[in-house]
Formats: sequence, C-alpha cells, structure tokens
Amino acid sequence: MTAAFLRTRAFRDIVVVLVLVFGVGSIAMLLAHVSPIVGFGALFDGAWGTKGEIAETLVQTTNLLFPALGIAIAFRAGLFNIGAEGQLVMGGFAAGWLGAQFPLPGYLAVPMVLAAGTLAGGVWGAIPGIMRARFKANEVIATLMLNVVAILLTTYLVTGPLQQGGANGSETGPLPKAAQLTHLFDTQLTWAFVLALVLAFVLRWVLQGTVFGYELRAAGDAPEAAKRAGIDLGRTALIAMSLSGAIAGLGGATIVAGALHRFNTGLSPGYGFIAIAVALVGNLDPLWIVVASVAFGMLQSGGIAMQAEAGVPKEVVSLIIGLVIIALAGRRVVASLRST
Amino acid sequence: MQAVDGVDLELQPGEIHALVGENGAGKSTLAAIAYGAVRSDDGSVEAVGVVGLVHQHFKLIERLRVWENVLLNREPRRGWAIDVDAARERVRALSASYGLAVDPDALVETLPVGIKQRVELLRELDREPSVLLLDEPTASLAPTEIASFFTTVGDLAKRGTAIMVVTHKLAEVIAYSQRVTVMRAGRVVASHLTSETSADEIAREMVGGEVPALAARASVATAPLLEVRGLSARSGTSVLDDATFEVRAGEIVGVAGIEGNGQTALSDALAGVAAFTGELVFAGTPLRASDTPASRLARGIRVIPQDRRHEALVLDWNVRDNVALGRHRTLGLAKYAGAAREVIERFDVRPPNPDAIVAALSGGNQQKIVVGRTLASSPKLVVAYQPTRGIDIGAAALVQSRLIEARNAGAGVLLISFELDEIFATADRVLVIANGKFVGSFDRAGIDRGRIGALMAGNA
Amino acid sequence: MNATLAAVMAILGLTLIKATPLIYAALGGVLSERAGVVNIGLEGILIAGAFTSVVVSGATGNPILGALAGVLAGMLLAAILAYVTTRLAVDQIVAGTGLNIAALAGAAFGLVLVYHQPGASHEVPALGRTGETVLVVLAFVAAGVLHLVLTRTPWGLHVRACGEDPSAADSAGIDALKTRFWAVVIGGAIASLGGVYLSLAELDLYSDGMTAGRGFIALAAVIFGRWTPLGATGAALFFGFFAALQFSLQRAGVPSELLQALPYLAALVALAGFAGRVRAPAADGVPYVRS
Repeated sequence: MTAAFLRTRAFRDIVVVLVLVFGVGSIAMLLAHVSPIVGFGALFDGAWGTKGEIAETLVQTTNLLFPALGIAIAFRAGLFNIGAEGQLVMGGFAAGWLGAQFPLPGYLAVPMVLAAGTLAGGVWGAIPGIMRARFKANEVIATLMLNVVAILLTTYLVTGPLQQGGANGSETGPLPKAAQLTHLFDTQLTWAFVLALVLAFVLRWVLQGTVFGYELRAAGDAPEAAKRAGIDLGRTALIAMSLSGAIAGLGGATIVAGALHRFNTGLSPGYGFIAIAVALVGNLDPLWIVVASVAFGMLQSGGIAMQAEAGVPKEVVSLIIGLVIIALAGRRVVASLRST
Repeated sequence: MQAVDGVDLELQPGEIHALVGENGAGKSTLAAIAYGAVRSDDGSVEAVGVVGLVHQHFKLIERLRVWENVLLNREPRRGWAIDVDAARERVRALSASYGLAVDPDALVETLPVGIKQRVELLRELDREPSVLLLDEPTASLAPTEIASFFTTVGDLAKRGTAIMVVTHKLAEVIAYSQRVTVMRAGRVVASHLTSETSADEIAREMVGGEVPALAARASVATAPLLEVRGLSARSGTSVLDDATFEVRAGEIVGVAGIEGNGQTALSDALAGVAAFTGELVFAGTPLRASDTPASRLARGIRVIPQDRRHEALVLDWNVRDNVALGRHRTLGLAKYAGAAREVIERFDVRPPNPDAIVAALSGGNQQKIVVGRTLASSPKLVVAYQPTRGIDIGAAALVQSRLIEARNAGAGVLLISFELDEIFATADRVLVIANGKFVGSFDRAGIDRGRIGALMAGNA
Repeated sequence: MNATLAAVMAILGLTLIKATPLIYAALGGVLSERAGVVNIGLEGILIAGAFTSVVVSGATGNPILGALAGVLAGMLLAAILAYVTTRLAVDQIVAGTGLNIAALAGAAFGLVLVYHQPGASHEVPALGRTGETVLVVLAFVAAGVLHLVLTRTPWGLHVRACGEDPSAADSAGIDALKTRFWAVVIGGAIASLGGVYLSLAELDLYSDGMTAGRGFIALAAVIFGRWTPLGATGAALFFGFFAALQFSLQRAGVPSELLQALPYLAALVALAGFAGRVRAPAADGVPYVRS
C-alpha cells in the first residue's frame, strides 16, 4: 500500500465493512427471529469451533484466495476482470477431465492436473485480453459474457463429446487417487491452502519487487505516463489478463483435485464473484487479500453452521457480501479517475 | 501569483474590444469570470442583459445534431415532444440572420472546425446576448473563414452587442477591433484605442521588459543531431505542417509560439506517441512513425511532456519509483533508491525524502523530479515542452540552469515554450511556430522581440 | 398445411414469451446506458421485481398490487445503484455486480423468511392469461414509447447529451447527475416488469434462480441492438426466437448449450466490431465528477 491517502480511506472502508457485516447481519437475524448474539455466535463458533470446522474455514479461504489474487492482478493493471468465475470453471474442467483421461503416477499427475487448470484459466483470461488489446473492446462485458459461455461450454463438453461416464453423465470421470491432493491433519484441508499462501507472497514480490510488476502497476495507475515511459500497454494488458485467468484457473483445479475429485459445473458457489469483494477489501494487495480471504472464508463456512444451529438462512452472508461490494466499489475508481 | 489581479475593464455596446496577452496572462480566466462561470475573489462583474461566451475549446456534443446542440435545454416544444420543425426553422433563421450558414440536421462530429465554431456561436446568439465574449475564436480557422467570421462579428457589433475578443493575433486586432487592452501576468498593462496604436507597440507590451542576461555557452558541435524535413504530424487537435529544422548537439533551440499552434504534435511525434509523415533523422538514423516510445528512449531521446500530472508522473507513487520511470528497465530495481537520491540532491527536491508521495509535492518539486530523471539518463536529445509550466520562480530558474548545463555537456535541447522570456534566456537559436508551420528563425544575436511577437501572432 | 401453420404459430408465440422479459430488461438497460450509466445490476432488478411481486400478491391476494410492488422494488434497487454511481462516483461495474449478489441472496433469504422454505415460494394469485398478454403487448408499447422519448422529447435529448458529454450538458444548464439518476431509476422500473412477467405472468410463484441470467442476456441485447430501444427489442426477439427453437433444434442435433450461448457469443462478436462499428454513448460507464 503506497498512498497515504489510501490509508485513511482504507480505515474508513474497514469501518464501513464492519458496520455492514454486523449491522445488516443483525437486522437480518432479528427478522429471522434470532438474536444477533446467538446468530453471530453460531457463525463464529461454526467457523472456528472444532478441528473440522477450522479446516472447512481454511478450505473456503483457499477457494476464495486464488480467484481474489487473480482479480487483484488484473485490477492493479487497470483491467476489470469480472470473469474470474468463468476462468475458475475452465480451470476446474481442464484439471478434472485431463486428470481422469490420462492417469499418471503421483509425482506427475498432480502437477499435470494443476498445470492444466492454470493453462485453461489463462487462455480464458487471454480472450478478453486480446479483445481489449486488438479491438479495444470493453473487457468488462467480455469477461461477463465469457462467464456464462464457460458454464455452457463445459456442460456441453462434459455431457457430450468429452464424456467420461461420470455420475448422471454430467460430471467428468473420477479423478485417480494419484492426481488428488493430499489432505492435511486428517481433515478436508489440502496443501492447496499452503500453495495459495505461497502464491500470495510470490505475487506480492512480483508486484513490488520486479520490473514486470512495476510496469503492470504503472499501466494501471497512470497509463499515459506509462506509455510515454516506453511501457507497451497492449502487451501488459494481455499478460495481466492471462495471468489473472491462470491464477483463477489454478484455483478451480485445486477445488477439483482437492475436494470434489471430479468436475461438475456446480463446483463454485460464486467464488469468482465473492472474490471481487475479497480483492477490494484487501485493497488489491496480495497480503491483505490473504487476511480478507480468511474473513470471508469464515463467513462462508460459518454461515452454513449458522443456518444449521441458529436457524438463520445462510443467504444472509451473501447479502452482506453484495452490500460490501457496493460499498467498496469506490476503491477502484479513485485511481482510474486520477489518470484521466 | 494571481491569475487575474486588480483588473478594470469596460465593454461598450457596438464596439469590438480586443483583449490580448501571452499564454498565462490571464485572458481566458478573465473571460470566464465575466461570463459568470468562475467567481472572482475580489471585485464585481456587472452586465446589462445576457452574457454569452464562445469557448476556445468547444462545448459541443459531437454525436448530436446541429440544432440539438444549438437549442439544448431551450428546445421549442409542441405538447410533450420537441417541435423539430420549429427547431430547424429557428436554427435556419438564426443562421440567415447572422450570415452563418449551417445545416441544422448535420451531426456535429462530421463538421469541419470552422463550421463547428459557427454552431457554438449560434448557440450563444440564440440567447440574444447583449455582451458576447469570444475566447480565441479564430485559433483554428483558415484565413478565408477568419474574414467572414469578423464580418459576422462586425454586424453583431453594429446591432449594438458589446463584443470582447480574447486573442493573441495582432493582425486581426489591428484590422477589426476598436479598442485593445493588453494583459500580462494577470494585470492590465495598457489600454488603447486601436486606431492610436500599432501591432509592434502591442507586441512589445505583451512581452514586456528587457532581454535577460546571456547564458554561458560551450562550443557547439557542427554535426546535426536531429534533422527534421517536411515533418507533418497530428496529435489530437494539434497539427504540425511541413516542418523543417535541425537541432545540433550542444545547442538549445527554442520554439516560440502561442499555445495551440502545433507544438503538441511536434512533441508527440518526437516522443513516438503520434504518427507523422516526412523525415525525422536522429544521429544519422531515420526514425519511423511506427517506432515505439521505448525505441525513442533507447536512442537517447527524452521528452519532458507538457502535462506532468498525466503524462509524466504516477501521482500515487513515491519519489523513488517516479524517478525510475522511463529508465526502470535499464536501471534495475536495486538502483532505484540511489538514482532517486541523486536527483533529489541535484535538483533540490523538497522534501528530500524518496518515500514521499509525489501527489503531495508542490508543482515545482514535481517538475524537478521529471526534469531531474530526464537529465540523469544523459540523453542525447532533450525535448522540453513547457518545462517550467506552473512552477515557482526558484524552481524554474533551477530547471533552466540544468538544461543549459546539459547543453554545455553536449546534449541537444529542443525547448518548446509559450513563455518568450524563458526562450530568450536560454536559447542559442529561436524558431517561431504559428498555425503549425515554422515561420521564422533567429540566431541569438539577431533576436528581435517585436518581429518574433508578430510572427507568433501569424503576421508574416 | 394446418399442422405447419400451427407449428409456426407455436414457435412465434413461444418467441414472444421468451423475449418479453428480455425486452423489458433491455429497455431498462438502454435508457440507463444512453444516460451514461452501465447497469450491470439488471439481473438483480429482475430478481427484485419477480420476488417482491410474488410476496405482495400472496399477502394481498391482488396480483396487480403485486406487480406494482415489483416495479417499486426494482426502482428502489436501481435508486441505490443510481445514488452510489452519481453522487459517490463509485465504479458502476463493480457496484452493479454487488447489487446482483445482494439481490439474489436477499430474495433467497426472503423466501425462507416469508414462506419458511428455501427454493421456491408458495403459489400466489397470478396475472393469468389476460395479464400475460397485456404484459407482452406492453413490452412493445414500452419500446415504442422509449424510442419516442429518446428521440423526440426534451428530456430524452438531455439524457442523450449526458451520455455523450456530461460536462457539455452541464454547461448548457442540464443537471447531468440528476438526469443520470432518474434515467437509471426509470430504467429500473421498466426492467423490473420483466421480473414481474417471469413470476406472475408466466408462472404464479418465485423460485431461486428463475431469472437465469436474463439480466446479462439483456446486456448483450443492448450491445447487439446498438443502444437503441428498437434495436434492443429486435435483439431480444432474436434471442427469444432461438430460445423458442431450442427443442426443435435439439432434436435436430444442435447442442442446447450452443443455443443458450448464442446471445453471449453475439454480444462478443458485436463488441469485437464484427457486426459493424458499434459505439456506446461516449461517456457510458464514466463517472462524472463536477470539477
């Protein structure tokens, strides 16, 4: 985080987020005839209570962290990647299908599966990147449309030409054990969580400590000055979008390889969209995004428990997330207004 | 420094009153105050009737039609709908009445600049103003269009409208105005009946003062560094037409001209961000229009752009990262801090903190960073476009000294500036640009302020 | 002969049914974007219209009141978006995305609150065949009216001015922020009728996910229809036609996913400029900050 100005704004935004979470949350709970104390208690307890619950929280954290990191990379480059959901789906599909199609020994299977997901997500992100670089097309609409196309395309492939006989014919075949990610501590948490954390640190270093990251940030923060300083904006846009998609695709791959052990189009309950909120709350900084992911992961996993134990519908969580996105939508515009 | 300082001005009905001055003299600000768009800190503006203002940069909506622009927010109605026929008729009537032919149904974006200006003018005239302010109205007009424009304006005056024309074109002032007021640095320095003065006198009053002390010179290399032949370029609305000149290593060539006469096109073509036709040869190698800005930088051509906030600096970043911009690849990240310290020291950047955020620095310090990093890369050719724009005198003097030192060390400098004083203080040769063309060349010894002022104003 | 005629009539009828909610949403999108605000939140507005109309119809027993409530709900959501994007100058895309998430979740939450069951509401008094026909016809009427308003009325001209160059509009005395605000809100009112149609005309209940991305298809229709009411209506009919053909084409071997993807692919093609130069209003999506 560089600008002192942003620092004060960040503080104010954190306050807004807390107000929304606890304020709206309380109102919703009261509407459901549940005391907010009980409701939030169930939420937090459900997120951190038992070993299994902590693991679930961290799993949700991981599932959000990957796409959020991808979104942050794109946003920092000045590109609105609203297509993380589609990129994630494509990544999960590639991982699931290839993993089931080509059984390999463990030390090859896992890298192949993860690489496939990364590549597929990267290609899916490159499409709007090319459209923006070559045709000056608005990448926002393009990424939005490609979200839906991704679901439709994978549905078609899985039920049709690339059938692998999974359940109901609407899934890929089961992933061989060799291609599955190993679990930690006897829980559903896999080392994908560690991978995501490492990725966050790597991305932080890339953004702050490499020339490439320097150019990417310049393209996002001051495109005209960047252009005149010799930075190739079109190329930067393409690389940023591809990288963004690749990271989201990797996330999809870890969901398939880690938890589901197969691909179906329901693999994501909107992680790609919630990740937008995570990225914004994390102020587009990879390390703060880790913190934000934990917070949102807690909301996601705790929400399920909150519904089961306190009878508060888990949709309250999504509602709050949507409001947080609206409230923090000002974060991006500040920088873009500055450069016009 | 005040934009406008203690100005008294009176406009009489039936009279064309010219307001002249160099860029930054305060003319446009005064016009905006008179119109009511900008509030003054002191003093008052009184007008009898409606005041209309035709802006220098049109406020037209490109994708709407002529009649839609002329009558925006004053549309004639029939019930719930706009009475389009009445609207067209009204525009036609206005058009005929003032001798400004336009097609009411034409889309504004398809119109040439001269016709666009007519639309802008008609919009104000529809309000039946008793006072009409025209800000640089002929800046983008061809000579024939200018004549017919002033015929229209003259008719308006005859009908009793009080007209003020903000301009720097002295030939037009002499030919068409009845009274002229000269501004410099925000103040009124003179006011005459046009019949009682001359273009030369006005020019001298516009630029004022003595020629400043000569700068110390080093020997000038004879081989040209930059050769420009028949260069034509376009950047946005700035147009450069068939320019031919050269810059040698070890000299400062000043390009004197009023803003809006092609300087941006020239600078952008050299920077590699605007296309051009013609020949551009640097150190013996031809430059292509398809070259990227990066290739220009690699050759040792550095441009200090006119708009530091949007074209040179990343305001949200700190000093260190801004100093690196442009050399960020060749320096290597580890060296950014050292480079920043060097620039801070050599250019007296305040506060002397590499972690300070640039947005918080004053304009003068921001500019020092831009100029500092440019010169620190030991460029062969420096194109300095308004290098002292909007900065305090101390910072300006420092920047100018550093440019001279760079020249002494063998760099070629092309100084494009709207401030004649700056050019006279530093340049070895002065070229004059007007209407996109180079119209004059003066060695230092042969500088003639009056003549240069006249050339700048389009007076051959 | 008769059988073919009947089949054709059936397809045409199905086209209208499929297209009508799209038309409403697309018209709302057109009005908003012509004023310069990209309304990504159309999906959320459809949801609000669909859900609220069902709840109120169930509570009052009057489907007309339900429909009105649905429109009001859509206007309220649009007002939130309009407020944050005009007064607070936040990013329109991001805010719209948040709106969609919040609306979907809000409706799901509401289902549990009101009907004590997730997934779908009870059946409620609906608008019936007459109501359905009225809404279909009204959609085309709305298209015509919006066309007239944009091209012939002073307010429509002001809206277009704000979408092209809000600063120039401001200098002509038009309050660009207020004009944008109302364009978004009225657009939301129109769009919400699409939601009302889905829940109270085509069916008689609300179920989770019933809008099925129509808000995004509507965005595609706006682009494909070049930001004009008549064009967007035509695009909506085009998409509705292929949706109607879905079963017949499926039997002929065309994958249903391809048909469902058609609107999105069409929009992508239009964006890349293959469908001819499509130009959004010049200031579309750009927050206007008075300096």
